[in-house]
Amino acid sequence: MLLRYVVRRLVLMIPVAFGVTLLVFFSIHLVPGDPALSFLGDRATPAAVAALRHNWALDRPLPVQYWLFLSRLAHGNLGRSLFYQSSTMGLLSRHVVVTLLLLLYGAVGAVLFSIPLAALATIRPGGLADHAVRIIGMVGIGMPSFWVGIILIILFGLVVPVFPVAGYGDTWPAHLWALVLPGATIAVSIAPMLVRSLRASLIEALGSDFVAFARAKGVTPARVFVRYGLRNAAISAVNVLGVNIGFLVGGTVVIENVFALPGLGTLMVHSVLDRDFPVVQGITLVFAMLVVVVYLLTDIAHALLDPRVQLS
Amino acid sequence: MGGAPRRKIGLTALLAAAALALGAQSGRAAGAPARGGTLVFARTGDILTLDPTQMTDNESIWTAENIYDTLYVASPDGKTLEPWLATGYTLSPDHLTWTFHLRKEVRFQNGRPMTSADVKFSIERVAAKASNPFAFINAAIASIDTPGPYTLVIRTKYPWAPLLADVALFANGVIPANYGGETEAQFFRHPIGTGPFMVKSWAKGSEVQLVANPYYWQKGKPYLAGVTFLSVPNDNTRRLQLQSGQVQVDEFPPFSMVSELNHMPGVRMTLFPSSRTDFLAFNEQHKPFADIHVRRAISYALNREAMVKAVLFGHGEPANAIISPALWGYDPNSPGIQYDLAKAKAELAQSSVPHGFSTTLIVGSGASTEALLGQIVQAELKPLGINVTLRQVDPNSEYTDIQNGKYDIAFNYDTTDIIDPDELISFSAMGGTTGQQTHALFTNYDNPEVDHWAEQAERTFDEARRHQLYDEVQVQVAKDAPLAFLYYSPFAYAYSRKVQGFDVYPTGNYHLEDVWLSH
Repeated sequence: MLLRYVVRRLVLMIPVAFGVTLLVFFSIHLVPGDPALSFLGDRATPAAVAALRHNWALDRPLPVQYWLFLSRLAHGNLGRSLFYQSSTMGLLSRHVVVTLLLLLYGAVGAVLFSIPLAALATIRPGGLADHAVRIIGMVGIGMPSFWVGIILIILFGLVVPVFPVAGYGDTWPAHLWALVLPGATIAVSIAPMLVRSLRASLIEALGSDFVAFARAKGVTPARVFVRYGLRNAAISAVNVLGVNIGFLVGGTVVIENVFALPGLGTLMVHSVLDRDFPVVQGITLVFAMLVVVVYLLTDIAHALLDPRVQLS
Repeated sequence: MGGAPRRKIGLTALLAAAALALGAQSGRAAGAPARGGTLVFARTGDILTLDPTQMTDNESIWTAENIYDTLYVASPDGKTLEPWLATGYTLSPDHLTWTFHLRKEVRFQNGRPMTSADVKFSIERVAAKASNPFAFINAAIASIDTPGPYTLVIRTKYPWAPLLADVALFANGVIPANYGGETEAQFFRHPIGTGPFMVKSWAKGSEVQLVANPYYWQKGKPYLAGVTFLSVPNDNTRRLQLQSGQVQVDEFPPFSMVSELNHMPGVRMTLFPSSRTDFLAFNEQHKPFADIHVRRAISYALNREAMVKAVLFGHGEPANAIISPALWGYDPNSPGIQYDLAKAKAELAQSSVPHGFSTTLIVGSGASTEALLGQIVQAELKPLGINVTLRQVDPNSEYTDIQNGKYDIAFNYDTTDIIDPDELISFSAMGGTTGQQTHALFTNYDNPEVDHWAEQAERTFDEARRHQLYDEVQVQVAKDAPLAFLYYSPFAYAYSRKVQGFDVYPTGNYHLEDVWLSH
């Protein structure tokens, strides 16, 4: 049942991917700009520009270029980066790992921040702690992530130098360590939304009849909170988290810039500015797939948490 | 090194350059250089390629210059050329045959000796394909011969004075002949040269690691065990990395941060003279810019001091010539137009549009400098009755529009990769079908006299006479004002006080074999 559902959703990705390539290919060519000029820089002699445009097949008609792109894609080949002169797939596979890890850290961090805060707020709704949590949430939403990132760097990279100021490190342990601050920055930006949703649904769940019944049965408060409160509240929180992560896939660029991480966002910005067409097309395709997968995972998690939901 | 961290450039450039050279010397003399350690740079971007014939971005170029060597190199003050892989040369009386004598002790980073065959192969690659970005630099070369393993003969098609400066270009850096038996693609995955450092790894988009070359021909160098270049686009992050000691060099802190970095403990902030000159360019194919009075009027109306204050925070100088003071050939007496509103009005009164007109200035979005400059230009031309509309486009579109002549006024700038004025003048001043056919930086300016002097300078070997010719070019271009010269800006570097012997040349490169880290 679940497997069939997943397969069907994954098959639906193909038309989505096709639509994305069509949209991206033609929109990027609509914008003025020329990768050959960008590559040759301020030493672009007319002869060199013409020769390079020919080498890169940029002098062919657009539909022909699109056809070349599609036929390569059918073989799983995203073409070669014009600027790096290396395979787009190779470039993407390195950069996508950073972005995926960043999103994972952000999601886990957001959950870790949100649950205690939401729990604190629901002990006595309308109380001092509840107000404090709401104000913290408001401030959290108001802080731009590039600023939060810099503040975290100053606090935990400079004042108390626990983490590297920036960069991705050379080894796997170093990579994982280096992603803590950027992950925390993402978590801070998602947590307020998550806290609000968790708080509201926790209050609703904890005020319901089945919770009163459980309490009367003598179930411990901690068990009531986790088993009856959190499990029910998690259903809406998972959707909030999923939607936000979906947005973040395209929004990690600011975090990557502040922390000098070689992720997809940074690569995307450079490729757009330089008109490195194959890389732009490759990244948009990957981003689109990522968003689809995140939403799929959200739906599956929803169904697993809530037996009333049927995957069909 | 002296305690003056700010180095003003401008008319005192010669003095400054001399002080710089002295400073670098005294930096080395202050105790024996310590060995070992890795110097970590935080740069605004990553390198794009390791192939010296394919690079156009500064990050790649300045990295390559520490991996590959050339026959000659620029001196630290950027005014003369010094023998490097060559020990010297002789020039035939007809000025067509250059015989270079190569150093015999030079080895590649794998220990194999370097010979003339390697040099021939490397120089021939530069113009092998029409699409190679620096193919133009070797255009004068007719043939290269190797009569002996340590003798290289370059014949030029016509007498060509800039040849020595041309062979000193990074693109002419030496790699093993025939890629040492590999294919081109294989070779550039782990390339070798004869320079002080060799490539250890390159994680595309984030960092390049170099390690010391054990076979380096300058005995006792390099002092460093390695150099790492990190890509850190965010200005604040680079500064914090420097402050925390995670990196030792912050390449290009924004000018707004210079005075703050000047006071940061343990940090040295230096402004090195550069070859960069910023311009406001007029498209002479668009009305009314073919009219010299219009161009001169606008140029008079621009307050360059105010621009230097606004965008460089005072760390630059108003420009008076098309060639920067950091370069040989600069004419301090070039009458580049300076701010004078009365003269601006007088010029416009003589023009075809005495009461002003409306025009468009394209401004690169994202570049905050241009947005600010654009507003200044807009305000300053108002008193002349010239209404300027700012057209914001992304930098690539801006560049494409300028190259295709789709603009009225635009910002532009020029730097040079060689220390001879020829490259700069052939792109930025020569018009018609002369020079590099870039129509004087795409202004469509065409003064046959200027072209004639510049071409004569290319074929004149007497230094004093060449300087005179370039002076004539500078004076005429200043008078004709196809470009309003705005300002000269320096290269800003903030680095740890532990870094010794670090010096940036006017072409922007640095010789890291001279650098060491004190403990």
